[in-house]
Amino acid sequence: MRPEIRRIQEAMEKEGYIAEAPIATAVYLAKEMRKPLLIEGDAGVGKTEIAKILARMLDTELVRLQCYEGLDVSTALYEWDYPRQMLRVRMAGDEADPGGLEHVIFSRDYLLERPLLSAITRAQGPAVLLVDEVDRADDGFEAFLLEVLSDFQVTIPELGTIRAEHVPYVILTSNRSREIGDALRRRCLYLYIEHPDFEKEVRIVQSRVPQAQTRLAEQIARFVQALRRRQLARSPGVAETIDWAQALVRLHCDELDPETVRETLGCVLKDHSDSRELSGEEIAVLVETAG
Amino acid sequence: MTGARPGNLAAHLAAFCGALRERAVAVSISDEADGLGALVLVDVSDREEVRRALKIALKIRPRGARAFEELFELFFPAGGGAASIARAARQRSSIPRSAKPVHRRAIEQPVAENAGPPAVSGDLPAWSPDALLRRKSFEECEPGDLAVMERLLERLAEKLATRPSRRLVPARSRGRMDPRRSFRAALATDGEFLRLARRRRAVEKARIVALCDTSGSMDAHARFLLAFLLSLRRAARTAEVFAFNTTLTRLTPTLAPGRISRELDRLAAAVPDWSGGTRIGECLAEFVSSHMVGLVDSKTVVVIFSDGLDRGDTAVLTRAMRAIHSRARRVFWLNPLLSDPRYEPTARGMAAALPHVDRLLPAHNLETLERLLPLLAA
Repeated sequence: MRPEIRRIQEAMEKEGYIAEAPIATAVYLAKEMRKPLLIEGDAGVGKTEIAKILARMLDTELVRLQCYEGLDVSTALYEWDYPRQMLRVRMAGDEADPGGLEHVIFSRDYLLERPLLSAITRAQGPAVLLVDEVDRADDGFEAFLLEVLSDFQVTIPELGTIRAEHVPYVILTSNRSREIGDALRRRCLYLYIEHPDFEKEVRIVQSRVPQAQTRLAEQIARFVQALRRRQLARSPGVAETIDWAQALVRLHCDELDPETVRETLGCVLKDHSDSRELSGEEIAVLVETAG
Repeated sequence: MTGARPGNLAAHLAAFCGALRERAVAVSISDEADGLGALVLVDVSDREEVRRALKIALKIRPRGARAFEELFELFFPAGGGAASIARAARQRSSIPRSAKPVHRRAIEQPVAENAGPPAVSGDLPAWSPDALLRRKSFEECEPGDLAVMERLLERLAEKLATRPSRRLVPARSRGRMDPRRSFRAALATDGEFLRLARRRRAVEKARIVALCDTSGSMDAHARFLLAFLLSLRRAARTAEVFAFNTTLTRLTPTLAPGRISRELDRLAAAVPDWSGGTRIGECLAEFVSSHMVGLVDSKTVVVIFSDGLDRGDTAVLTRAMRAIHSRARRVFWLNPLLSDPRYEPTARGMAAALPHVDRLLPAHNLETLERLLPLLAA
């Protein structure tokens, strides 16, 4: 392994993120090749976390754009500050020269920067831009995003073209509720994150919930791993494992027992049909095998 | 950096990507360039690092992962970094290739050539060889019916497009005030707002995913229903069509504009085991595991055409239906047997699926299909 990749791995670990080689390699390549990194995987495997950790590692600002259906340019890129513009026009009254006034109200002072624009105009070095859950936005927005990500410049009709002072590090995440278009995918590097294996999950629990004893952490990890092997409507992610470990520590639980598991199962299984299907005996068996 | 010459690497990588494409893994030229860019950045003497870097830079998705791993073993054999990569580059000509180009448009299935027996089944459709492989012509389906249907569906097509989106588009009157356009208009009239510009929610076409049972018990209806689906696909561009009996076949890639009757002949040829038995549960489970992600979302209506006569495990069917139901906007089950007023949905498969279906509807003639259309947009 290249020392640079190892250093990234160690730095991420220091920030509390257990990164296997593929994740560290992806972050390294995205950083060196200055390409956006598209991260896919089930909910709760720690996709968003990578962007946050990267921002902390680089000691820079994290600019986050949460995508949703109906997201448009005025929420993602920029918007004019209409009330202030209006006020300015009214205050100027009749005597103002219209050309000069237009220049004033369509200047950067009256521009509200939304995440995409603020990420590329950040003056103090490159920011980390997190475009979260890009699969939730409409296809049309994806095309627009593609344009911004390829040129890192934005054209505002009233103002002209704004170029990125520093090209930001871009992380896109997707839960695959919709297939991301090929064009956008091409523009990015790609990382698929699986659920962690047993050892990694134990390490994650220990690093995030240090109060949990090794034995409890191992039991929790083994239990969750067994749950994931079942056919569930919603498989628990790492986030759920951590929540559960925290809950168990709060309850001063040193080891799993069927009763506590049943009472706290809502931390891990967040679908009614899943928790209903898990009978008392099955929980007992799972606890038994979790050691 | 070890002494691998970029020229060697580039040629070798191109061959590797070519082999990936032959296995139906989409790798474009720009992906190749990314791959090369990544190889320059990593330690090429570390085989695992090369593997990881290529997987990231070539954008290998989970569904292409197996082909990638198999070909990687072939192109980057274990045993010593750049030297072996360079050696592999020289031996390129000896790497077995499939004899003829793969026509993967016909039926989407991975082609496993020369890479040994596949480790996991699941990807490979495995219909039983002794099952009937009958090819039928559609002479019984009256041409008049189809012509009428085509005209009818053309008229009804607009009804599909009535779902309000959350996206806002400029509108003439009603709707939310659009400050941006209002303000610009006001500038022309000295800052007086004479008329407010407005935006309202856009209207979007529903996405439709249809699964059509083509087993023997559905024989009398399947052709009719597929013809309907074909017309639907022309009206709603995003419709995806699958056929299932003992296996699931994605028909969308084989569907091209053309006369419906001609299309149907092609379909009968494309679907293995047309008019054979059914394994609804397994087929729907296959749909859930390999196709649902990416095709079905909260804007998608899933339509299943089947009589629900299934001999398989109903637990599998229940689980698959629950998965589909939890993800799709609506699930409709069209059952031709409903035309008989005495029919009760008690067949094991139907009964198992029923709790996860929004509407159970008849589908035995044009009229019943016509009633379906407004529901698709609801």
